[in-house]
Amino acid sequence: MIRLIGKGFRTFSKWMSTYENLVAVYAVLGIIVAMCGIIMVPLITYHEDQIYSKSINRDSPLDPYDRGGIPFTKVDIEAQYPENSPTAGYVTTYLTPFSWFLANSSPFLGTTIVAHPGGILDEILYNTRGLDTVVETSILFTAFAIASFLFRRKE
Amino acid sequence: MFNLPIEGEELFVLEFGDIVNYFSLYTTTLFLFATAFIIIAIIARPERQTDIVFGTDAVYTKEINPDNLRFQRFMAIACGLATLGAVCSGDLFNFCLFTALIGITNIGIVAGVNNRYVLNAAYNYGIVAMVATTFLFGGAATALGTCGTLSIWELAGLGMVPLAAKMFLVLGVMGEGMAPFYIAKAEITRAPGAPYVLMIHVSSLLIFLRIIEIILTV
Repeated sequence: MIRLIGKGFRTFSKWMSTYENLVAVYAVLGIIVAMCGIIMVPLITYHEDQIYSKSINRDSPLDPYDRGGIPFTKVDIEAQYPENSPTAGYVTTYLTPFSWFLANSSPFLGTTIVAHPGGILDEILYNTRGLDTVVETSILFTAFAIASFLFRRKE
Repeated sequence: MFNLPIEGEELFVLEFGDIVNYFSLYTTTLFLFATAFIIIAIIARPERQTDIVFGTDAVYTKEINPDNLRFQRFMAIACGLATLGAVCSGDLFNFCLFTALIGITNIGIVAGVNNRYVLNAAYNYGIVAMVATTFLFGGAATALGTCGTLSIWELAGLGMVPLAAKMFLVLGVMGEGMAPFYIAKAEITRAPGAPYVLMIHVSSLLIFLRIIEIILTV
């Protein structure tokens, strides 16, 4: 019996010692945690006092991105720490004149967020959560740096 | 937040709009540790490996390509800076972003090595790190969806973040911090340009320590 267990352990440790199999180990962990997460969905409670507003105006041409207010005027923006973002709401919120024209003439501007220069700028992202955008672009730049290094390297 | 036992005293607060980084006794310790290793990465010279030719007294030294060296040093410093950001971040999503950046720079550090098995290990780690971002950002998104805020300041001590979100965050950090396993298994520590590989170990250790602090705080 003990010999059998020992043999099982040896086989397992031999399998684990190949680093290619670590992906599989992580995948098994991921499946277990994802299952637990799905089972726990009914236990998740929604807290009503949300900072970032969740009201969505389905009729707006800026559909998923409409945060209310008129461009080029001050707009009320909910911030976690308003004292840290004194200019929130003053940056031209969201639209360039061309985009404003498109928004007034077409009902689908919300779906073309990157299709024309100066589309919709999300002020929540760029003003109150600016560090996030900086880190996101750094991730992109780092990935480009690695890719270009590997591409240009002489083998 | 600073009345919780894990944090220690409040030392310094750095504000970026809604993202308010904090330096408690705990995070400052991690910050100083990472800073020390960035300095080491800046001043260190790479190890020149020597191999003994079998059966003779001869020894040959492996050559280190300056281009590879420069790139590895750049990536090691970038990894250190990402670690600095991750250990003092006061925001869940921001922490996840910095952790993802650590994962990418970890790949970059070993990408400068020419050996085939090293690149193979880096590729395998890349798969894990890529899958891990799903859990990492899934955890942050679940926390945001239920609590409506990502600020650790607001969430501290309330226990509002659901267990599922915490599990996702831990699994995500496990995936990003898995690099030392590959280092040990593929013996990358002995590959050319060894000192920069240290940064991979340091960053993984520090993000593990930080996620423990976050899980106990929120």
